[in-house]
Amino acid sequence: MAGLQQRLDEFKTTFDSGAPPYNAPHEAIETMHRATAELKASGIEDRSLKAGDPAPGFTLFNQDHVQVASSDLLRQGPLVISFFRGHW
Amino acid sequence: MELEALQQIHSDVRALGAEIVVLTPELERYTRALHKKLNLTFDILTDLHLNVASQFRLVFTLPDYLRDLYKSFGSTLDRFHDEPEYRLPVPARYVVDKLGTIRSADVNADYTVRSEPSETLKQLQRLAGS
Repeated sequence: MAGLQQRLDEFKTTFDSGAPPYNAPHEAIETMHRATAELKASGIEDRSLKAGDPAPGFTLFNQDHVQVASSDLLRQGPLVISFFRGHW
Repeated sequence: MELEALQQIHSDVRALGAEIVVLTPELERYTRALHKKLNLTFDILTDLHLNVASQFRLVFTLPDYLRDLYKSFGSTLDRFHDEPEYRLPVPARYVVDKLGTIRSADVNADYTVRSEPSETLKQLQRLAGS
């Protein structure tokens, strides 16, 4: 199985070419590149929490409407937290 | 792709005594469907109105021109997220140790760049060994 970044690169190549299945119009691709460049330039990567910072705790509902607390998970061991924008 | 890649390392993560959670602004009716579709064995948590992502300082507002573009694709974030202001988290993956300290932070404003899950696994192995 190819690595994650390799698959992302393949997606990007296909998407940016305007080919199927995405058939992205040229203007849309330009717009998205502009937005990504602006977001990078905004400095958000530097402002975000870094190694050495304390992680904020949370209690949130999971997909089955069960409350999950980070403090409970951390009692068991280390935690990987992935921030995901959504499926859209 | 990120979720599928994390799913592939989940059993190894568990074997190291660690766990994975995914935080998304999506409402529960959508996370339930996605969780089922991808056959995930870790939780997707709804970070309603990006309260936790804000504390990690990962939140940005989509510029108007991009909002209009996504709308033209038929994507309506306000419906998926109850987010009328079209705010989103920057994609990020953190490893937090048992004491609650962040040990690694992979944050990238370009949504097509992610660190490999194998790197995350190595980080957890170092934590387990220390």
